[in-house]
Amino acid sequence: MGRYLLRRLGFALLLVLVVSSASLLLTWLAPGDITSDQALTLGPAALARMRADLGLDRPLAVQYLEWLGGIVRLDFGRSLLYARPVSTLIGERALNTAVLAVAALVLATVIGVPLGVYSGSRSRGAGRAVVRVLSIVALSVPPLIGSLGLVFLAARTGWLPVGGMTSAAGIDRSWAQWLADLATHVPIPVLALAIPLAATLERLQSQAIEKAMREPFVAASLARGVSYAQAVTRHAWPVSLRSVLGLYGVMIGSLFSGSFIVEVVTSWPGLGRLMYDALKARDLYLVAGCAASGAFFLAAGTWLADMLLAIADPRVRSQETQ
Amino acid sequence: MNRQPRALLSVLLLGSIAFMGWRWWSSQQTGTDQGTEIVFADVSTRGGVLTSSLRSEPRSFNRWVDRNFPTELISQLTQSKLIRINRSTQEIEPALAESWTASADNQTFTLTLRQASWSDGTPFTSADVVFTFAAIYDPKVNSILASSLQVKGQPLTVTAADARTVVIGYPGAFGPGIALLDNLTIAPKHKLAAALAAGTFAQAWGVATPVTELASLGPFVLSRYEPGQRLIFDRNPRYWKKDPSGATLPNLDQVVLEVVPDQNAELVRLQAGQIDMLQQQVRPEDIATLRPLVDRGKLQLLELGVGTDPDLFFFNLRPRHWAKDPRGTWIGRKEFRQAISHAVDREAFANTVFLGAGVPIWGPVTPGNQKWFSPNVPRYGFSLDKARQLLAGLGLANRDADQWLEDEKGTEARFTVLTYRGNSSLERSAAVLREDLRPLGIAVDVVALEQGALVERMLKGDFESIFFFFSSSNLDPAMSPDFWLSSGSAHIWNIGQASPATEWEKQIDDLMQQIMSSTDQAQRKLDFDRVQAIFAENLPAIYFVAPRMYMGVSARVGSMSPTILRPQLLWAADTITVRSTGSTGQGAR
Repeated sequence: MGRYLLRRLGFALLLVLVVSSASLLLTWLAPGDITSDQALTLGPAALARMRADLGLDRPLAVQYLEWLGGIVRLDFGRSLLYARPVSTLIGERALNTAVLAVAALVLATVIGVPLGVYSGSRSRGAGRAVVRVLSIVALSVPPLIGSLGLVFLAARTGWLPVGGMTSAAGIDRSWAQWLADLATHVPIPVLALAIPLAATLERLQSQAIEKAMREPFVAASLARGVSYAQAVTRHAWPVSLRSVLGLYGVMIGSLFSGSFIVEVVTSWPGLGRLMYDALKARDLYLVAGCAASGAFFLAAGTWLADMLLAIADPRVRSQETQ
Repeated sequence: MNRQPRALLSVLLLGSIAFMGWRWWSSQQTGTDQGTEIVFADVSTRGGVLTSSLRSEPRSFNRWVDRNFPTELISQLTQSKLIRINRSTQEIEPALAESWTASADNQTFTLTLRQASWSDGTPFTSADVVFTFAAIYDPKVNSILASSLQVKGQPLTVTAADARTVVIGYPGAFGPGIALLDNLTIAPKHKLAAALAAGTFAQAWGVATPVTELASLGPFVLSRYEPGQRLIFDRNPRYWKKDPSGATLPNLDQVVLEVVPDQNAELVRLQAGQIDMLQQQVRPEDIATLRPLVDRGKLQLLELGVGTDPDLFFFNLRPRHWAKDPRGTWIGRKEFRQAISHAVDREAFANTVFLGAGVPIWGPVTPGNQKWFSPNVPRYGFSLDKARQLLAGLGLANRDADQWLEDEKGTEARFTVLTYRGNSSLERSAAVLREDLRPLGIAVDVVALEQGALVERMLKGDFESIFFFFSSSNLDPAMSPDFWLSSGSAHIWNIGQASPATEWEKQIDDLMQQIMSSTDQAQRKLDFDRVQAIFAENLPAIYFVAPRMYMGVSARVGSMSPTILRPQLLWAADTITVRSTGSTGQGAR
């Protein structure tokens, strides 16, 4: 197990390095840089000075090696856009994104998995059809439209704040009031994230459980007189989790990296928006830092999913010990 | 009954229930709306909180090195200038300089400063003014204001006669005179002198700077910055300005700028009453959405007039770009550009791109710039016959069986238009141009690029033509020499020429030099009329339509002085008032 963990850690570090390096190089190669939007206002001399001040006039290899040297010391450089350390910016925003990610993941799981088990374990019935159609509708709606729809609903009803993470007066309040204020801002972005994820989980879980129900050991358990519900939950479901948990890793990675569409539409100050702003402004180091954090979360998510799978499925445990 | 029809039936049933529920709920909502109409408080309009949206975050609080809009807006709210141009009237007004005198040759201005204090209580003196100029002209600072505070390419000389008197010398006569100082935001010497001495002025006042370190001379002080969320400004109790009745300004207790990156979400928030105003004009396609709220008295739709920064279409007129391209022989000719102007029906263009909210224009100066606009310029209005004649005169004819024209060497009349991805009016404009040129036999390929990539290609001269926007912060042409002069960095069809490439550019250069140096305002206007006529005849950039601009503002906001230039409403935030309402909860504190 120790070797397995070390192997996964090595893979995670490699993933972070490759993804962040590729992001930095691609951003550098894309036409324009962070000074482009000032190019028509500043003269060529002032523009050249600005590029020199930012270190953008140096060869790519020099910039890359300097950045790489920083990475070894866990220094991701300074954002050209905000003139602040990249790690500080990412730390602030990652926390905000994590709030959404955890809530969306829990909600999607609580809704998607049971519905998947329900629809997959029934061969017919109106309930199964309704769940299936709702899932397909939820999957078909583009994230932008879904987010805007929820924002519109919030605006129309006035039940919830339309955007932001807290209200303007929130920070002056006590911790309890601040948390309550945060709680009123969370539902819209969380729903925007969780609904398509829940639908994905439902579809995946449904197909997996359908397949598991056809396994001989499930038929055997039914023949032994085990109730249908028990056969589903105790025998078929753990086996079906393999494909669901396989997706979990990717889900966790993408959720914790931040969804820029949901964060932009709901004005949530998370990592997705930070990455979007960094890309728009061609902020090399911030793009690389955001990409590194995304890769880290993906690796961590995959690792977590593997651990959960090992716990859930005895066959995986036996493979690992062999 | 098999499973599929049953599933379909279930969905239809659910849909019907949901629709009926929605209709019932909507009718309930209408009733609620009628019951909670905005009620204006009958008490004083002083105090209260104004909430506005802001599309992007500031990169810095340092206005002297950063020109992005959020930083400029923060500067408008928190800082002051020696004099300012009233954005509504275009007249010069005293600000920190309560009075001034000009020398006979209009090259030396003696300013008397008013008694004022920074928000931290430090007195404002002439030392702050001298310090600000020193910082701006310091090459290490690389200030974005440096070029806009020069005359004939030379910096101004600034001396402090005493604590309340400053003498500013121009290196030559300058047409706009003291209006040049509208570009200058005063910096606090007591806060930033150490940074300037250490060579770190450009990094000072970054967004990580604690707000308590910032000092204000403007109506508000930045009291809190929540990254990614909002900026909160409190009233500056030491603000120097008073209203005509002698009452201290600003009227508002607080201004909140909520960061809302998405334009659709911004509009929804305005409709919901969660913000009072936008910092962008309302898109033409959104006007119909807001009308019902205007009719119900919840919103004001302010028509600011005709925009002064219209979109423009231009060809690459650098001769070396076309040196090896046979199309250069006709693309570089003014008759070709005139034919394109003839090919576009500007009324239809306004209807398609701006949904009717636009006026035809014939040059870069629009009717929105009332002081400098000249209607008497050559116009190449919609006429396909005239366009065909001009193209035939250039040797362009259909020489084969296809639908496109060719020149005498058989080169097809085709060019590529680059435009800015994500800007709906530009993308629509380029599409309209492509369709309007098709009947003439000219093929247009439209390519949308990210802004950075587009600007990069523009600067390198790596393009055939571009549909673009160009914004100016000042209406006096002498303040935009980079656009008009052939040597300018914003002379986008042929940037930074060592000497004028064409005779008409030389004529414009000469006239602009007179406009910049003359102090005879009537003569300056006549000269600029001539510049506009030369421009409209040669069409280095073709202008089709200028949009009418609208701002959406909550009905509870009053005492505004709307203007065409950004920030259209908050440029005079000190006089704005809000009335408390029964429904929004954003009223006076």
